[in-house]
Amino acid sequence: MTPLPVLTALILLPLAGAVGLIPFRKAETAAKWLALGVAVLELLVACSTWSAAGAPMTAAAPKGFFLYEDFAWIESLGIRFTVGMDGISLLLTIMTALLTVIAMLASWQTVNHRTTLHYMLLLVMESSILGVFLALDLFLFYLFWEAMLIPMFFLIGIWGHGRNIYSAIKFFVFTLAGSLLMLLAIIGIYLIHGRETGTYTFGLSALLGTSLDPTVGLWLYAAFLLSFAVKFPLVPFHTWLPDAHTDAPTAGSIDLAGLLLKTGAYGLIRFGYPLFPAAARTLTPLLLIMAVTGILYTSWIAFAQKDMKRLVAYSSVGHMGFVALGIAAWTPVALSGSILQMVSHGITTSALFAMVGMLQSRTETREISAYGGLWGKVPVISCFFMIFAMASAGLPGLNNFVGEFLILTGSYQVAQTATILAFLGLILSLIYTVRLLQDVLFQEERQVVAISDSTAIENLMLTILALGVLYIGLHPGPLLDMLALPVQILTGGAP
Amino acid sequence: MTLDDIRIALPLLILAIGALVTLIHGALTKNLLTGTIIAVITAVGAGLWPLQPPPTTLAPSLGLSAGGLSRLFTAYFAAMAAAVLMLSHAYNCRRRIRGEEYPATILFTAFGMVALAAATNLLIIFLGLEAMTFGFYILAAIDREHEISNEAGLKYLLMGALSAAFLAFGIALLFSVAGSLGIGEVLERTLGVGAPDPVALAGWGCVLIGIAFKLSLVPAHLWTPDVYEAAPAPVVAFLSGGSKAAAVLLLLLLLPRAGDPALLRMPLFAMALLSMILGNLAALRQNRVRRMLAYSSIAQMGYVVVAFIAHQGHGFQAAAFYAIAYGIMSLAAFGAIGVLERNGCGPTLDEYHGRGFSQPITAGVLALALFALAGIPPTIGFTGKFLIFAAAIRAGEIALAVIGILTAAVSIYYYLRVVTALYLHRTSDVRDEEINLAETVVLVLSAALIVLLGMFPSHLLDFLQAQFPS
Repeated sequence: MTPLPVLTALILLPLAGAVGLIPFRKAETAAKWLALGVAVLELLVACSTWSAAGAPMTAAAPKGFFLYEDFAWIESLGIRFTVGMDGISLLLTIMTALLTVIAMLASWQTVNHRTTLHYMLLLVMESSILGVFLALDLFLFYLFWEAMLIPMFFLIGIWGHGRNIYSAIKFFVFTLAGSLLMLLAIIGIYLIHGRETGTYTFGLSALLGTSLDPTVGLWLYAAFLLSFAVKFPLVPFHTWLPDAHTDAPTAGSIDLAGLLLKTGAYGLIRFGYPLFPAAARTLTPLLLIMAVTGILYTSWIAFAQKDMKRLVAYSSVGHMGFVALGIAAWTPVALSGSILQMVSHGITTSALFAMVGMLQSRTETREISAYGGLWGKVPVISCFFMIFAMASAGLPGLNNFVGEFLILTGSYQVAQTATILAFLGLILSLIYTVRLLQDVLFQEERQVVAISDSTAIENLMLTILALGVLYIGLHPGPLLDMLALPVQILTGGAP
Repeated sequence: MTLDDIRIALPLLILAIGALVTLIHGALTKNLLTGTIIAVITAVGAGLWPLQPPPTTLAPSLGLSAGGLSRLFTAYFAAMAAAVLMLSHAYNCRRRIRGEEYPATILFTAFGMVALAAATNLLIIFLGLEAMTFGFYILAAIDREHEISNEAGLKYLLMGALSAAFLAFGIALLFSVAGSLGIGEVLERTLGVGAPDPVALAGWGCVLIGIAFKLSLVPAHLWTPDVYEAAPAPVVAFLSGGSKAAAVLLLLLLLPRAGDPALLRMPLFAMALLSMILGNLAALRQNRVRRMLAYSSIAQMGYVVVAFIAHQGHGFQAAAFYAIAYGIMSLAAFGAIGVLERNGCGPTLDEYHGRGFSQPITAGVLALALFALAGIPPTIGFTGKFLIFAAAIRAGEIALAVIGILTAAVSIYYYLRVVTALYLHRTSDVRDEEINLAETVVLVLSAALIVLLGMFPSHLLDFLQAQFPS
């Protein structure tokens, strides 16, 4: 019996769910429950793949991939529907499925018009992000890579506020323009490999061995790097992100920070470095500079923010700088740290965006100066806010600390100056986070705002996220074990 | 004339007889609906016939062939005519375009396209092309009550006559050099080995100018925005999807059989570059949706010419694929625009505000077509652009590929503006969608094709690959 194609099912299930929601255009409550049901089912399926991790690998699968599915698609061009899952994909898949559920819960009470479409788009988004994390064929990867912009565009544009239209267009044009050159580079490496070997294929495992002329390799890698750097986002390609976050609805911010940004880092790990090892080494200093500049610059900018959501957005760019630093170091410890940090960042930043969204829906403002003294008024919200903010600042025992610690440890061996500067950035982020907590939670009440404490659904959502924070912070062992093998294969050393 | 000859010419006969029947029917009764239905049935019949394999592929005495490419495009043109007719009825009722001449002219125009698709010599090509263009002269100006429509029709007529003159003169020059009108002989004797004859070069130059007009390539593009703006929406869909595909097909009939079309590279290169850049930049500045799409069509044809330049990298099949892809996309786009206009939507972008929610089917199809035109996956537009850029890189035309993809990045902005207007801008004007069954069928079918052919292009690609052995 052939095993069930569980990865294909993972990609198609949310899509099928979205199509299934179409008849529920008017029945919004039913649509909400149905969408949540699909998302929870998806999460269960995603978690169930964990058990496959120890199983023996099939012969066809590339090394390290414990789940692998390969179907014929466009034969004449060498395009196949190839998906595979290794430890890295597994963690990101579970994170994606989890955050989709969280995004739905965050929208539960706040999205009140065009509700069905909102949930459909969240499901389409999940489907395309999972496609990015699982694709092992460059054409397939690119397809998902671009397709995921469409649901995000509508999420920002339809349910956003402020300058939502401007931000939605900026987001779309910026990220798409960044990735178009990658399409040419993908075609380039496909043709070069085809001329070398006579077999034209977009399969990643076949393309890995392509020997490239150094100059050509550099150009191709530069196109990949540009595309990933825009998504990451690395300074100076980050300008779309604060706008997109500021104007996006809460669920949009969760998807954006939690999922979309991760695709850039993932692309660099899965495709950028392995396909162009020589060119990647040449351009590593550039990546280091962008990473460190990002960490320091965004921390500095974060100080000046008056809008809570913008502050979280900038801090999110700063944390992604750490991920970039770990990738640039490309040592087993740093790379494991980067991947763990991606998951941690997904949970923490999503939680913070969810909290900002909750506060905004209660008080109609995100100005930091409007708040104060929440600790006494809404203890549950404040307590959660404290946990997530401290996690974001890198408090030991909480999730971000583990990733950042591993990244700094792993990078120090190869890039000392950059690591030291990044460490300074960590201190800055601690300062602005504490200041935020002081302003919002503890200071005297500055404006009288009517505010109620969290509802049951919000408590559920925040508890799930808080458990994730504590689990990764206190017991990251199983996750790191999961990453050990793929990271070892990628870096060619022992973790 | 043998029975086999007739079987090859049958789609042409069906269309011509159908057009006559439509005219006679119109003279006897004044029922427009039945006239349209007769025309649709005729077009569907003409489109179904070539799907079966023919007994022989050549009818030398008629100058017609039934090769794979001819049959594919015959079916395509006939299907396009049927779809346009289905979209036209309600639209014309609303714009008060009456008379049996409309469906009959659509069929005559399709007749010209099909003749072109099946041609094996330059004379039939010229006749087909002119029969088609003649139909469009009438169709572009058929809305006699609108001043603007007459002006656009006149503009199209003048430019079209000029291009026809160029084509005829070019063909005459080529004939004088080659001493034959057969495509194979002409190509062999004018673009074969050795230094080219200057008269032959002049002939090719004239032919290219004529084709550039039909494809509305810069600098022969000036008629496009006016006609796209003023003609009835279904006619624009037919013009965009049919006449451009016919011009691409004409190049596909000529170029693959030329030994080395390197001579044509320079003018093609210039036209591709100018069309991609000017078309996309001009579209950025438009506030009227149809004008925007007219400039976009100029740019899109620039991409097709890139494929021709990159013929050594399987460019011909990319061009054929993109011609069909573009036809389906513009059928969906202008079909949807027609339905929107019938629902009271004006020409400017502001009028499209909020229609995504009040007219979900139409606006959904329009948005999908626009994403496809912008080249976003998973659509036929993405697959088509992918094939073109792959061909360009394979043929070593890196600069053209990079410029093409950068201008495509620019184009995303203006396509998004329309999508933004449809879905992101809010409006207080809420009304119910009015869309009839025929329109729904055409729009939903073309939307399905945009996605399905984009995701699963294998069959079409394999077929095209067999037509252009490298």
